[in-house]
Amino acid sequence: MDWGEIFGPGALVVLLSSSVAFAMPTALAAVGETVVERAGILNLGVEGMLLSGALASFLVAYYAKSVALGALAGIAIGVGLGALMAFLSVTLGTEQIINGIAIVLLAQGITAFTFEELFGGEEQPTIGGIADVDIPLLHEIPGVGPVLFEQNVLFYISVALAIAVALLLTRTRFGLSVRAVGESPAAADAAAVSVARTRWLALLIGGGMAGMGGAVLVLGQLNLFETNVSAGRGWIAVALVIFGRWNPLLVLGGAFVFGFTDALQIRVQAVSGGIASTVPTEIFAALPYVVTLIVMVAATVWAGRDAQPGALGAPFRKGVSA
Amino acid sequence: MSVSQAATRPLWLPPQSRRLRAGLSSLGAVLLSLVVGGVLVLIAGGEPVSAYGALIDGAFGSPYAIGQMLVLAVPLLIMGLGLALAFRGRVYNVGAEGQLFMGALAGGVVAIFLPVAFDPLLIAASIFAGMAAGAAWGGIVGVLRARWGVNEVITSLLLNFVAILIFTYCVRRPLRAPGSPDLQGRSIDPNAALPVLPDLAVHVGVFLAIALVPLAAYLMARTPFGMRVRMLGFNAEAARAAGVSSRRMVMALMLISGGLAGLAGVLQTLGVSERLDLGISQGYGFTAIVVALLGRLNATGVLLAAVFIAVLQSGGQAMSVTEGLPYAIVLAIPGVFVVFLLIADRLARG
Repeated sequence: MDWGEIFGPGALVVLLSSSVAFAMPTALAAVGETVVERAGILNLGVEGMLLSGALASFLVAYYAKSVALGALAGIAIGVGLGALMAFLSVTLGTEQIINGIAIVLLAQGITAFTFEELFGGEEQPTIGGIADVDIPLLHEIPGVGPVLFEQNVLFYISVALAIAVALLLTRTRFGLSVRAVGESPAAADAAAVSVARTRWLALLIGGGMAGMGGAVLVLGQLNLFETNVSAGRGWIAVALVIFGRWNPLLVLGGAFVFGFTDALQIRVQAVSGGIASTVPTEIFAALPYVVTLIVMVAATVWAGRDAQPGALGAPFRKGVSA
Repeated sequence: MSVSQAATRPLWLPPQSRRLRAGLSSLGAVLLSLVVGGVLVLIAGGEPVSAYGALIDGAFGSPYAIGQMLVLAVPLLIMGLGLALAFRGRVYNVGAEGQLFMGALAGGVVAIFLPVAFDPLLIAASIFAGMAAGAAWGGIVGVLRARWGVNEVITSLLLNFVAILIFTYCVRRPLRAPGSPDLQGRSIDPNAALPVLPDLAVHVGVFLAIALVPLAAYLMARTPFGMRVRMLGFNAEAARAAGVSSRRMVMALMLISGGLAGLAGVLQTLGVSERLDLGISQGYGFTAIVVALLGRLNATGVLLAAVFIAVLQSGGQAMSVTEGLPYAIVLAIPGVFVVFLLIADRLARG
């Protein structure tokens, strides 16, 4: 296998530009999850929301031939699952960890059923890709230009959305409420902030972001759907929140580390020559998971857990002290 | 339990019947899920009554069908017991799938290469290796959580991918069946294959799985260890105040649940595939979570739940063939199930 095909002068730009592209689905989900966790909810259903968003956007784009509608469908299903998580975790107050796992199992089962029911036994259905848009002037910057400014429109929207949600959390009144109910729900409640309402909204946002992540993965990059296409990206998003110390901009940065390992393993698989290859492609395939694990553990070990929202994972019931 | 919680309990349920309520809510969730399954059958263009008939027939129609159902129940039961124990102590191990594959790999390697002619010894060594590997894989998660407080759900889940990729690499390169054109791992030493019961075609691992049920029940209800697990589950802070080392318990629960998942993996290798095979688990490590929850984290409950899910999936496979329906219907039901279960459970608690 020729490593020049991956790291050579011409190939490196391709690798880096697909790194940032592959970071986006995870980045969206991770920034959304940051909002949710800052509100005090540990949502482990991200993987299910991302996967459902991927299928919904694929189906709509496939049948309606519209990328925009597909993306909206992805967001909508994510918001729906966010509402389910909110109903279980906020309204019923059941154990959040279990709720999250349940949502992942639910999404895996339903998406597998739906996809097999519609396309079972047929050839792998695909949808057309979307064209890259060169941003005038910026894309001519040597090095950076081709990596960041020759992407498709979903990429630009994703970046804008991730930054907007990050600012929502850090710079707005609503963001302040979110952080208050996550840090000390009883105090927020005493200050007339509705804990339930704020957590519901946070989960709707988090679900929508994860759903959009699924849409970007399918519509912007893979152009197809397959069973469990999300491949753990939702779980990686949860890990990245820890790595990013619950700070949305750091979380966004962490997503690019993941994006690089993901793009690298995809390139290695592509040029290695399949199952006869002597290259241990599995090591590269494991890289996104291993690197995510290592950075998450390292962040926890060295920086401690002081950045974690005070009430993370604890259900809040008005009038019942914790 | 606080006064306000006691006051909001539904009046139609006497306080003594906690077990009854738990059982009823499980049953309610089962019935609702079966209704949803029927709707999925309708969507797929089938006929629910005959589909469920075909499912029951597929699980119980012949000794062989019953055997196939039991073969599927074995890993679900073994892993379900381990997960039930861990979940009781609020250690949320979702890495059973990876622990199963590490167990299958280590146990399989012993069963391929260990030059022992005496069958029971070879089988015992293989099972031991598999359990140790599963426990070690779970132990990584345990150390990270116990030592540094790293969330075990995320680490155990991510390690699933790593374990499966390690297994894939092994069957693709060093442990590939000689001359095999595709991903086919080496066969185990025939002496290491588990004896199989006549007619039912069930490997003897089924007895081991059943024997684990009273053992787990005893461990949970009658030993100081079980007491500590329950204390941690009930109120972690109070348990720590009473001198329970939560670090040690996290470690112990990860080792036990990992070891049992490893055991499930070895039994699949020695009793079902008789080779290193990626097909030994169709996400059973995740289905076992459903089994543990449906079984109310209680050994007898887990036994019933494992058989129920095995009937559903094994019978469902037969159903999908005879009724021409997508097998994924059966895969969709467990997820639906857990959600209903959570809601039913919460409503029953009041």
